[in-house]
Amino acid sequence: MNALRKSPLHDAIAALQPEWGMHNGMPAALQFDQGDSQRMAALGIADVSCLWRCGLKGPRSMAWLTEQGVAVPAVNSWTPLANGGLIARLGNSEFLLEDSPGGSTAQRMQSLLADRPHGVYPVLRQDAALLLTGAGLHPLLRQTCSFNFMTLDTAVRPVVLTTMVGVVVIVLPQQMPDGMHYRIWCDGTYGEYLWRTLLDIARELDGGVTGLNHLILEGK
Amino acid sequence: MKILTCPINGPRPISEFTYGGEYRPMPDPHAASDVAWADYVFNRNGGPGMKWEWWCHTPSTTWFIAERDTVRDVVMRSFLFDDISKQGGAA
Repeated sequence: MNALRKSPLHDAIAALQPEWGMHNGMPAALQFDQGDSQRMAALGIADVSCLWRCGLKGPRSMAWLTEQGVAVPAVNSWTPLANGGLIARLGNSEFLLEDSPGGSTAQRMQSLLADRPHGVYPVLRQDAALLLTGAGLHPLLRQTCSFNFMTLDTAVRPVVLTTMVGVVVIVLPQQMPDGMHYRIWCDGTYGEYLWRTLLDIARELDGGVTGLNHLILEGK
Repeated sequence: MKILTCPINGPRPISEFTYGGEYRPMPDPHAASDVAWADYVFNRNGGPGMKWEWWCHTPSTTWFIAERDTVRDVVMRSFLFDDISKQGGAA
């Protein structure tokens, strides 16, 4: 495959020989086999690095986002974007935007940042982005992370900056119709290590890899 | 497990933090005497007691100040540098 953009997890996923599709110019694993939905219910791990992301920070970042019509969440929380996707506030003045498959807000913000607005600075986001689902989520989190996710109130849409098996991560719990989804972002260079570690634990808990067909691309 | 409270991110295990040295207000380099400036540049106070220290929450790169009793290794409070005057310190 000769794509210009590749997920930081591409090589690890290619070894599992999934059915590929293209999303945002990046190869994305759509399905691994008939057991995808079963693994998703137990403990599914999917690579969603293909979703469009945009990062920004700076003293005027909050005012600038408001000027663009983007609702700004409170510190350490997130909110859905109007046409799909999400915006997470990572501190007083740093934000991460990510589009859902049908959304375009993050892409639009990134193009506007090219004009170098005063007091707003683009942050390169080439993260490895994961999506975790299923009944085994909390046992996996307890094994890999010193933060107690059971104490979180998902109703306030929290964002947690912490470490997982020694890797700095952003973790975002989402209450979805089919249960809790956990979104995880980390520096791409640590992505494969995090992926392999989480996958090893997931397999012990009867879970494993999941393609995007059963997750976001169906608009769930 | 030791827990330290980040003013932005809340209580976290100490493994998520990096120590940044004692907080020491810088004298005005134009007004300070040579002796006062040399003291600021070269000398450190290693005596036990109540210290203000720089700490960084690594996952969010949040630098803040923790007031720590180094005799008992107990953190009394933590706050952002912006609040230092409210906490009774000098920038």
